[in-house]
Amino acid sequence: MSLRQKLLLLFSLTVAAAVAAVAWTVLLRVRHVFERRDQEETALFVSQFQREFQHRSAEVAASVDRLAASEPAHAMAFELAQSGDAAPYLTEAQTMAQDAQLDFLEIVGPDGNVVSSAQWPARFGYPEPAAMEPAQGTFLKREEMPDGSTALGLFAVRAIGGAAPAVKLVGGARLDQGFLADLPVAPGMTIGLYSDATAAQQPGAGESAAAFDPVRLAGPGGVVAGAAHYRALIDAARSSGRQANGVVNLTDRREDSLNATAIPLSNRTGDVMAVLIVAISRAGMVEAQQHIRASAYGVAAGGIFLAIVFSLWVAARVSRPIEELARAAEEVASGNWDAQVPSRGRDEVSVLARSFNHMTEQLSSQRERLIQSERVAAWRELARRLAHELKNPLFPLQLTVENLVRARALPAEEFDEIFRESTATLGAEIANLKTIIGRFSDFSKMPRPELERMDGGEAMRRVHALYAAANQGGAAQGGAAPGAAIRFELDVSPAPMPIHADPELLHRALSNLVLNAIDALPEGGRLKLSARPNGESVELCVADTGEGLTPEECERLFTPYYTTKQHGTGLGLAIVQSVVADHAGTIAVEGTPGGGASFIITLPRAL
Amino acid sequence: MGWTVLRRFAISLLLAAAALSAAGRTRPHYGGTLRVELAGDGIHSSGGLLLRLVLDGLTQTGVDGTPQPGLAVSWKAENNDHRWEFQLRPGVQFQNGVPLTADRVVASLNESCNGNCPWTAVRAVGSSVVFLSDAPEPNLPWLLAETRYLISLADAGDGKAPACCIGTGPFAFNGQDQPRLLGANDNYWGGRPFVDKIEVVTGRSIRDQWLDLSVGRADVVEVPPEMMRLAQQQRLSVVVSPPVELLALEIGETGALANPMLRASIAEAVDRAALFNVIFQKQGEVTASLLPQEMTGYAFVFAAGRDLNKAHELRGGLSAPLLKLGVESGGAMMLAAQRIALNLREAGLDVQPVDIGRVQHPDLALRRLPIEGADAPAAMEGLLRAAGEPVAVPRQSSTALFRAEREFLDRQTLVPLIDLPRAYAIGPRVRDFELDADGEPDLASASLEDTP
Repeated sequence: MSLRQKLLLLFSLTVAAAVAAVAWTVLLRVRHVFERRDQEETALFVSQFQREFQHRSAEVAASVDRLAASEPAHAMAFELAQSGDAAPYLTEAQTMAQDAQLDFLEIVGPDGNVVSSAQWPARFGYPEPAAMEPAQGTFLKREEMPDGSTALGLFAVRAIGGAAPAVKLVGGARLDQGFLADLPVAPGMTIGLYSDATAAQQPGAGESAAAFDPVRLAGPGGVVAGAAHYRALIDAARSSGRQANGVVNLTDRREDSLNATAIPLSNRTGDVMAVLIVAISRAGMVEAQQHIRASAYGVAAGGIFLAIVFSLWVAARVSRPIEELARAAEEVASGNWDAQVPSRGRDEVSVLARSFNHMTEQLSSQRERLIQSERVAAWRELARRLAHELKNPLFPLQLTVENLVRARALPAEEFDEIFRESTATLGAEIANLKTIIGRFSDFSKMPRPELERMDGGEAMRRVHALYAAANQGGAAQGGAAPGAAIRFELDVSPAPMPIHADPELLHRALSNLVLNAIDALPEGGRLKLSARPNGESVELCVADTGEGLTPEECERLFTPYYTTKQHGTGLGLAIVQSVVADHAGTIAVEGTPGGGASFIITLPRAL
Repeated sequence: MGWTVLRRFAISLLLAAAALSAAGRTRPHYGGTLRVELAGDGIHSSGGLLLRLVLDGLTQTGVDGTPQPGLAVSWKAENNDHRWEFQLRPGVQFQNGVPLTADRVVASLNESCNGNCPWTAVRAVGSSVVFLSDAPEPNLPWLLAETRYLISLADAGDGKAPACCIGTGPFAFNGQDQPRLLGANDNYWGGRPFVDKIEVVTGRSIRDQWLDLSVGRADVVEVPPEMMRLAQQQRLSVVVSPPVELLALEIGETGALANPMLRASIAEAVDRAALFNVIFQKQGEVTASLLPQEMTGYAFVFAAGRDLNKAHELRGGLSAPLLKLGVESGGAMMLAAQRIALNLREAGLDVQPVDIGRVQHPDLALRRLPIEGADAPAAMEGLLRAAGEPVAVPRQSSTALFRAEREFLDRQTLVPLIDLPRAYAIGPRVRDFELDADGEPDLASASLEDTP
């Protein structure tokens, strides 16, 4: 990853994290505000319900009060006290309840038995325990109905006349869907009344009586949607007798959740008769949250985009000089020591750029001087070698010519003999001079390789065939002592090793290496030729078990005119290196004193 | 002297005129329209009042309870009451002019009998109708006076009258629209009725009937037993019959109720006194017998009290699923059913009153069974047939009748509760309004004081 990419990523992550933190904080705050608002709204409705409940209680009490104070009621009470005959009043409660707009009304005689019942006329003669309730205030009671069902109501008990034992009126209003329909309900609000039908009848009925039944949670329009989801709240309110709050999830979607409050409605003994559910949809809050979240995401996306653009600009501004420096350094590394970077400003990078430019200028200057000095040294070495090479044959020539001059005074026969010997010597030394000159000529006239596709292993086999056969015939044993045998070994990988090479130049280079190895084995030994693929290249190796090389020799071995042999020109390995370089390859030498030497030519594998 | 004679003569004339005028007011007037209002349709309910007006039976019940000639002028039993022959009244025509023949009588009886007949076969023999039965049927002349055996012209409905209701009675349908109009049958064999028309409004609530009566829009309205006391308090002119209906609890014999002990427990648990005293406002009489005391003389033998402990004892811990008590919806019957359900709950039985029209085979049913006629054996047989028990009741003696009733009641499939009367309130224009032995108004004999 480049410096620019790193800077870009760093800047982007920083901005994105900052935006996300801000959005999260805003969302948290919004959620808190909405939940508080919902709770306040729920609390408001609960207080409204409690006021409505008290109002309804007051209405019931007032209605029963009016009935108890009415003239017909007093007349009825008087007649009942006088005659004890309740039969004429069988339907009286219905009439009175209709007039007073009460859902429930029972006239209870002094004996505590029902004289007339509006809600269940057939109950006459049966005792009514509610008549024993104090004649003050109102209370909740579950009333049995003729069809076997029960109904919850707000009841009040009033005595007619006040003297005890007196005829009493037990009147009430039904707490049902109609009651819920009268309650003020805000949009998005759900109200319902859970009434346990069997609890009142059988308070000790056990688990079955207390089991939650969603059908019993009714709202103004029927059974409340998703009633089963209110179970936990309702059970909590029923078991504790206290108000319970919580979030009710109707579906997996957050929009379908509600902030719900369960208000237990208890009778005077504290038994929970019903539970009022007030639930406010959280859809508005969730939608607002989603809106804010979407906005936050949009802002974050925009921020990140701007951050990327800004980061690109900043990164470019910061990294460009460094990139230029890096490129320049790469150029220097690749040999272009003239590479320069522009330097602007006065910051650290500009100082670095100017230092770099100065350094490359110094390097170029030193390189020029080095080249010049090396060139001079090379010429000196060339002159020294030439002088050395030429001096050796010239000295015999001088002696031979001086011998001829001195032999001019000898008799003709002796002179002739000396003359023949001298001319032969002269010829030999002149031939030697030609050879020396020819080698130098060859080095200077190294031809350009004509590349063609060939197999590296085949080139090695060719060399081995040539020199192994010669070795067996003794023709090539120039460097070896008589009787000392050189054992040729060939190790060529069976895998194809295609290379692009000039067969003749490569053969000459390999032959030079083989000849050098033979020279290094005057006492005989092992000479191994090997070829093997190595990844995307092919390695050709000539190794001997001769006297080896010192590290210094290894370093200088490819320097032209450097030789370790007494009569070498020092051009053989230079020629080999030149050929290998022309084939885009490399040559390396490994060796230790007494441990033999190995020359490894590495050529690129042809595709 | 002359003045004295003259004055005496004038006074005599005035007294004679006054006497003539008084005699004129006591004589029934012909003409006028009698307005009757009913809660039911008058055919299938309300005692079949309309049927009684337009149809006749082969016999009719006399004031003393004996069978009197109707469309049959005479009858005789043969072969130990296995064969009865009824001689038809000659010259009688249906209201549409079709002559009454023995064949038409047989067709009508076969149609109305619907398989639950006191006879095995009925045939026309000349101008006689012959009934044959496998078992002796000594009560047949009394039974033939019942509403269900009235004679109508089969398959002869026209635009004016329903298909069921072309007969030989004192009135004939003049239309089927509301209010139903019945015109006097001038050719009625028993003599033309006094009123020209009867206007019958059906399906009218009792309260509305009373309101119409109070403002003069109705002349005859119904008074259910449970409202008789109220009617008297409102000073209505009420005509009450002797007990003509038996309020009874029918108990099925299937399921848990196949156990006779459970049925006996139900019979013991019902509080008749509460029903009688409160719901039916002390009208009629509490009974545990099929027929009223004044008909049989032994009804008091059957204990009508409630014994809850015995009910529990008879139930013996047996439990039954929710029992459905069928009853006609609304009014005192439903109230009585709810009360019975309460009574049975105390005995450990869970009972739910339901509209009998909505359940086919209720476990229990609260019904009003008609007590037709004043003859005890015939009334009992008719009552049992109405309850779905086609048995012939002996006429030999009261003891035999008692044994038959005891044997039937011991099965605990029918629990008599209250004998109920039937009552009507009449307006000031109506004169000579009487109820016959079945508690039905004899409108053919009634007249109106003022004719329009």
